[in-house]
Amino acid sequence: MAYTRKNVWELGGDWADPILWYARGVAAMQARPLADPTSWRFYAAIHGMDQQLWQQLGYLSSSEPMPDNTAVQRFWTQCQHGSWYFLPWHRGYLLAFEANIRAAVTKLGGPADWALPYWNYFKPNESNLPPAFASPNWPDGQGNNPLFVQQRYGPNNDGNVYVPLDQVTLDAMTDPDFTGVASGGDTGFGGVDTGFEHGGQTHGRVETQPHDWVHGLVGGGNPQNQQLPGLMSDPDTAGLDPIFWLHHANIDRLWQVWRQNPPAGVNPTDPNWVQGPGSVGERIYSMPMPDGTAWDYTPGSMTDLGQLGYSYDDLTPAVAPAPLSQRLLTLGASAAAVSAMKGVPAVTSGKNVELVGANQGSLSIQGSEARTSVQLDAGVRRRVARSLAMAAETTAPDRVFLNLENVRGLADSTAFRVYINLPEGANPADHPERLAGSVALFGVRKASRPDGEHAAQGLTFVLEITKIVDALHLNNTLDVDALDVRIVPVKPVPEAAQISIGRISIFRQGQ
Amino acid sequence: MTLASRQRAQVRTPVLFLSAAAWILLMAAPGSLGLSGHCTVTGLGAMLSLKSLRHLMALNPPGSVAVGWTLMLIAMMAPVVIAPVRHIRDRSFARRRVRAIILFVGGYAAIWMAAGVLLLAIVLVVRLAAPESLLPVALVAIVALVWQFSPVKQQCLNRCHAHPELAAFSPAADLGALRFGLTHGIWCVGSCWALMLLPLLVSRGHLAVMVLVSLCLFAERLDRPVPPRWSWRAPNKAIRIAIAQARMRLERG
Repeated sequence: MAYTRKNVWELGGDWADPILWYARGVAAMQARPLADPTSWRFYAAIHGMDQQLWQQLGYLSSSEPMPDNTAVQRFWTQCQHGSWYFLPWHRGYLLAFEANIRAAVTKLGGPADWALPYWNYFKPNESNLPPAFASPNWPDGQGNNPLFVQQRYGPNNDGNVYVPLDQVTLDAMTDPDFTGVASGGDTGFGGVDTGFEHGGQTHGRVETQPHDWVHGLVGGGNPQNQQLPGLMSDPDTAGLDPIFWLHHANIDRLWQVWRQNPPAGVNPTDPNWVQGPGSVGERIYSMPMPDGTAWDYTPGSMTDLGQLGYSYDDLTPAVAPAPLSQRLLTLGASAAAVSAMKGVPAVTSGKNVELVGANQGSLSIQGSEARTSVQLDAGVRRRVARSLAMAAETTAPDRVFLNLENVRGLADSTAFRVYINLPEGANPADHPERLAGSVALFGVRKASRPDGEHAAQGLTFVLEITKIVDALHLNNTLDVDALDVRIVPVKPVPEAAQISIGRISIFRQGQ
Repeated sequence: MTLASRQRAQVRTPVLFLSAAAWILLMAAPGSLGLSGHCTVTGLGAMLSLKSLRHLMALNPPGSVAVGWTLMLIAMMAPVVIAPVRHIRDRSFARRRVRAIILFVGGYAAIWMAAGVLLLAIVLVVRLAAPESLLPVALVAIVALVWQFSPVKQQCLNRCHAHPELAAFSPAADLGALRFGLTHGIWCVGSCWALMLLPLLVSRGHLAVMVLVSLCLFAERLDRPVPPRWSWRAPNKAIRIAIAQARMRLERG
């Protein structure tokens, strides 16, 4: 049977049939005990689990029977973040979850072709939380709507949940490469190849934006205690929120958009990606299915959505990747030189990644702003400038990336925007051209634990600032010793959150 | 091959080459380096006395022992520092990479050389006190086994995965690389000291034990950090990698 995932805002009503059946399916899964592998909370624990946090948030009682150890070892805390497995693992996770909901739906007399809707917050007038998720009541006015979650605080921590359109971007869609590097350059559309290491520290581009950002802004933090996250803000609780699945359906859709629209993105063919973590000694992906079996899968088996029996009702590209010719024209190449180029890819991803500059010392993020200065190495800065000046001849100008290294802290709901060289006294909102990007610290709490799997290294975010550097070059303002970096949190960051950035650096990637 | 994979190979290949060269030297010409019984301290059929100590020192001059210990470290430890060396390479200016790596290695080696003095002193005492006896080896094997599964060992292993942010410019960059080497060395010694004693104490099959211990040390670094607790720690991930990669290569023909 073929299943079509549809836009939740375009189903024909706040409580259109697909969403009503989703709510009934969620209620059925929620009614099952944690020890049941097809229960709601078991499925959330497949993404991540922190017993103490679950208890604090009221999702686990200390006397509750836990699943047997074999099931826990096989299924729980599988989520793949900071790795090139991020997209395929979540695709399989969605498919398995959907199969479980569908089984519950059909058992209740619902449609056999039920499919999970997606939330495309990028569309005009569709960035608000879908109404069925915002009301504590069922459509008949009865309480206990299973789609409603108390711990969903929104971007302002006031319970008004929406995705601010000026803060969420689709820049990742323009990335020509699926696979990136963790060495300071492009982290790739899909994430970094982590080899035999477990990875998890450096998030890929679509994972950083919009994935992390939407998690952080929808979930928010408890206004009384920001160290208590909204469910969506923390990987260990995100799967408990029914909106999680619609958000991930949208991320999955974006992967398909990236694949299907020219210049088509190409999935990795490297055997270590195709075969998945099992090929590098890690746990294989495994999901409990409604018939009691376990379904194992690999990234290679997740690449053809059609073959999996799924489609999306809308794969319109939201943004068109800017061709290299456009960048070269901006950098001063003649139209004749550019038109002579044929077969040149949209953007070049050079093989040489090197440090251009860095700030000194760790930067603490508190309150509503933090500033630092990235000192540039004169020699490497000149190399960047030379590559931009000779762009028309080489057709391979450098790409430039801002790295926020070793971001640590206790509050996953922290989110901030990063600006380069804002004029003194300027309102950041008036200078979108200086916006390097925005990051939400999804997973930072766990990544900061000394004996956690990240060994307290925190998270690293990489933002492409090529456009900003191009503009500085064209304005003859790149010939400087340092670039100013301003961090502007979405909400003031309390001292107790202990957010810090170990180092802020700039890297070039070119020939 | 991905760019990340190429970058990994840029560090891994020369480091493994260096390690292999040290292994070849240890296997091929221990005598020429003035090492009795490779890099271990030769046993004496003598009682614990000043005279026997002098005799032992004459047979194992400190310079030769230091060379042997250094070779042993290069052979065994070079593979386990691939990840931190790559971190330094990636996060330093291209013109400073070699210098930063040298400083890191200097700090790391300094800790291991200091540890070597202690470990070799233990071996010396054992040789004097119980020459030709297998009891010390058995005792150290038990200690190593207990240490291997202890929470302290896990804590050390976890810290070995820490790759701190590094200053970019001198002098902070130099100090940072050196400090990273020193701290990494401390956690590495904390993690490995007990296993390292084994090849030092074994006279027969010394190289074979070295190889086994090296494989064990390399394999355990592949595992993720986990909360410290008493637990059976086997190189499961390394075995899984070996099997999976072999199978994939066979399937590709």
